[in-house]
Amino acid sequence: MGPSPSIPATTLVTLAAFSLAAASCGRAATPPPRDLARIPWDSLAASARGSTVTWRMWRGDPSINAYVDRWVSPRLLQRYGITLNAVEGQGAEIVNQLQVEKEARAGGTADLVWINGETFHQLRQADLLYGPWSGRLPNAAWVDSASPIISRDFEQDPMGYESPWGTVQFALIYDSARTPAPPRSYAELRQWILAHPGRFTHDQGFTGITLLKQLMYALGGGVERFQGGFHEEVYATASERIWRWLEEVRPALWRGGGSYPPGVAELHRLFANGEVDFTMSNNQNEVMTKVAQGIFPETARALLLRDGTIANAHFVGIPANAPNPAGAMVVADFLLSPEAQLEKARSPVWGDGTVLAEERLPGDWATSFAELARNPRALPRDSLARYARPEVDPEYHERLAREWRSRIRRGGS
Amino acid sequence: MALADPARRELKAVRWGLLAAALVASPVVAGVVYSAAAATGLAGFGPHGFSTDRLTRVLGEPAVWESLVWTIRTASLATLLASALAVLVAMTFRRSGRVDKLARTLAVLPLPVPHLVAATTAVLLLAQSGLLSRLGFAAGWLAGPADMPPLVYDRAGLGMVLTLAWKELPFLALVATTLLATRGAALEETARGLGAGPWDTFRLVTWPFLWRGLLPPVVAVLAFAAGSYEAAAMLAPSDPLALPLLTLERYTDPDLARRGDAFVLVLVGLMLTGAAVGLHEWVRYRTTELRG
Amino acid sequence: MSGVLSAGRIAGLLGLGLSALLPMVLLAIWSVGDRWFYPALWPSRLTAESWRTLLSGEGRLWAAGATSMLLAAGTGAIACIVALPVGRALARLDGWRGHLGAAMTFLPVAAPPVALATGLQFSFLSLGLGGRPIGVLLAHAVPAVAYVSLYFTGVFTGFDTRVEEEARSLGASAGQTFRFITLPLLRRPLAEGFALGFLISWAQMPLTLLIGGGAVRTLPIEVFAFVEAGQDRIAATGALVLLVPALVALAAARLAARGTEVAAL
Repeated sequence: MGPSPSIPATTLVTLAAFSLAAASCGRAATPPPRDLARIPWDSLAASARGSTVTWRMWRGDPSINAYVDRWVSPRLLQRYGITLNAVEGQGAEIVNQLQVEKEARAGGTADLVWINGETFHQLRQADLLYGPWSGRLPNAAWVDSASPIISRDFEQDPMGYESPWGTVQFALIYDSARTPAPPRSYAELRQWILAHPGRFTHDQGFTGITLLKQLMYALGGGVERFQGGFHEEVYATASERIWRWLEEVRPALWRGGGSYPPGVAELHRLFANGEVDFTMSNNQNEVMTKVAQGIFPETARALLLRDGTIANAHFVGIPANAPNPAGAMVVADFLLSPEAQLEKARSPVWGDGTVLAEERLPGDWATSFAELARNPRALPRDSLARYARPEVDPEYHERLAREWRSRIRRGGS
Repeated sequence: MALADPARRELKAVRWGLLAAALVASPVVAGVVYSAAAATGLAGFGPHGFSTDRLTRVLGEPAVWESLVWTIRTASLATLLASALAVLVAMTFRRSGRVDKLARTLAVLPLPVPHLVAATTAVLLLAQSGLLSRLGFAAGWLAGPADMPPLVYDRAGLGMVLTLAWKELPFLALVATTLLATRGAALEETARGLGAGPWDTFRLVTWPFLWRGLLPPVVAVLAFAAGSYEAAAMLAPSDPLALPLLTLERYTDPDLARRGDAFVLVLVGLMLTGAAVGLHEWVRYRTTELRG
Repeated sequence: MSGVLSAGRIAGLLGLGLSALLPMVLLAIWSVGDRWFYPALWPSRLTAESWRTLLSGEGRLWAAGATSMLLAAGTGAIACIVALPVGRALARLDGWRGHLGAAMTFLPVAAPPVALATGLQFSFLSLGLGGRPIGVLLAHAVPAVAYVSLYFTGVFTGFDTRVEEEARSLGASAGQTFRFITLPLLRRPLAEGFALGFLISWAQMPLTLLIGGGAVRTLPIEVFAFVEAGQDRIAATGALVLLVPALVALAAARLAARGTEVAAL
């Protein structure tokens, strides 16, 4: 009997047992949700009482988090008995997660996801969303489905697989103290960049590519040319113009156009600290929340270009493997309620546009929306409407991103 | 109580030892296997059956090689800097006085600082509008952010080199100090006793065992630095893209079919690790076994 | 000559002090700064808002800190339990086999976290571990066990087994020997091994992100998310909170090491 290998032996056995136990505790793949469309709404809502809904959403903005955690969450608990668990998750992460979960036949972890555009496209293509369901929400009746911004997500028909939540419009952001006379069109922007070398750039992420997409509309003769699906020839001509435009201004960009900030947050930092004079946002009201948070100087303002900026809606979807789709639907319905939409639209809260057709709302709702405290920094609604341009097929965005990386950034195709 | 035949005990010990090591290494092996499968189309996003197309395509991209070279180069510069400083610190503060003890403690203090924290602070400090730049402005040397030489998001990766070096220094200083304290003293005494001057002692006695003892941790640290995601995410330029960033970018590519590319890069990363680890152990083997 | 040397030593000491302490001071200022734009050397306003939110327990940082603490403690414990016998077994290997064993053990430590996490994501998700704290715990255990195994290999190399052998030859069972002879001798290494495992989990990011799928929110994840969102003040607060236990763990390990040869440091 020697001094023991029994120590390693027992440990190895324990370890193996532990892993097996952990594996067997693993969630078995949940069966696809029953056809909840058959169940009347009230029973559905009742069945969700006492359950938890896990909502994967972008959690990078404290204002949005405050709205969700401190306004939406308590009301959901109080009125519907639903505990909302809002966790971080964006676009690509969500798609990857759902994809790998499907491949591994693992159970789902998210009940509700905050998505739009590309993400929706990928999820639908890979058949990762539950649906159709959004049409049966009671509050869906108030949605402004006549609006092209809301009824289409990057030109795709949601077909009930996602429910609209809010609308935003792209805007440039500038400092009125530093730049009293900002450019108002892409042509003027080009002049401005050349006249102020090193003071403009865009980020590598979604917002930066959206800027290029708008440039594409402007240089390509208007958004109408790009509607109705993706057209290779249309894209090819327009993108050549974009690359030429970018190459012309490249030497005058920040860092000589050799380096671009990784994300829009870094761009915000450059702007706030005076390294560049412009930043941008997909949400025209972000400038107000950031000023309130002390991240932007008080003289920061939003700017629309006369060539038009992209307005789009963002949505919530339910993954196909959601453990609690009924609860998710109740949450989505509450998010659509006039009360929740009004609160969300207030500037100090979030300033996110509503998806509801205000004129059709009963009672005083229409007036309440109209009376939303007008912040002098906010862009006037008629300007927003006049310069709003819809999104087009997501393939345009994907191609722009990929080719920008390989042709202009040259970083890693 | 008789103990078992030593030869059999030896064999048993070897088996258990290697089994234990294999167990610990198994997740990496699993990762390599899955990545290989995904890279060749047997698994992962939209498996289409075995094909080496993706491998050849990705490995044929100049951008991938630029990324690899840049990543290794940045990690190497950082490690070189950290090693030099570590030796300097260890040699300067090797006595047992309070000043020396304090210096050694300060040198090791940043050891547990997470990469993320180091990188965040580096951005705040080294950006063209960061604290250093503001000090320069206050002193009248710089007229604006543009006058500050770029240290973040720059092709030369200077900010990243400094940050990685800052993060590596405590560990290397720890090793260097231990080496000097344990093995150095006796050898140096002997040399001095034989009449060697301080520079000669260093050159012929101290430095040889220092670098041999430092080489394995240096290789290890190099591998860490090359794999650091957080530092790259905050400080690296957009062209060339650091390897961890490139991997993640492909992994989250909007085009689902291209996500498999990330696995080729993962394989590259894991193979480099394997090579670094192999080198590390080989050097250790040579320096310990062959010293007799 | 000695004058130059002393000047050099003072300069070196100052440099080391600055390098070690400046980041913490900076983060502290950033965590209370409001509207701190170039070229100001000091924030134009100070606010305790992010600290108040943190300490009130309602913020994400608080919850994330708790999660991190539990995960790190769990990882430290698992690492010690598994690494002790592994390290012991490895220490018994001689010559090239020993180096081979060490190389294999070293792989999870040196593997780039992004690569490791991507490679493991599928297996972990198939085992149903995705998006759950237990999954993230096991994921953290992968590099931690390896790291601490290497540490214990060092501990057991040159470990004097004669006391154990005597106990066995006097009739003690393996279990008794372990409990009453070996374990007391290993108190310090166990503490240090725990601290090592703790730190590895505490600072981990890519593994948590890819295996936890965004559902498991640890402190580094939250700090990174805030940095990416441009919320520097909250990020700095989180970063300081991230720093403190790490420093405490280091201090504890060094205190435990006092009185041994490692205390040359």
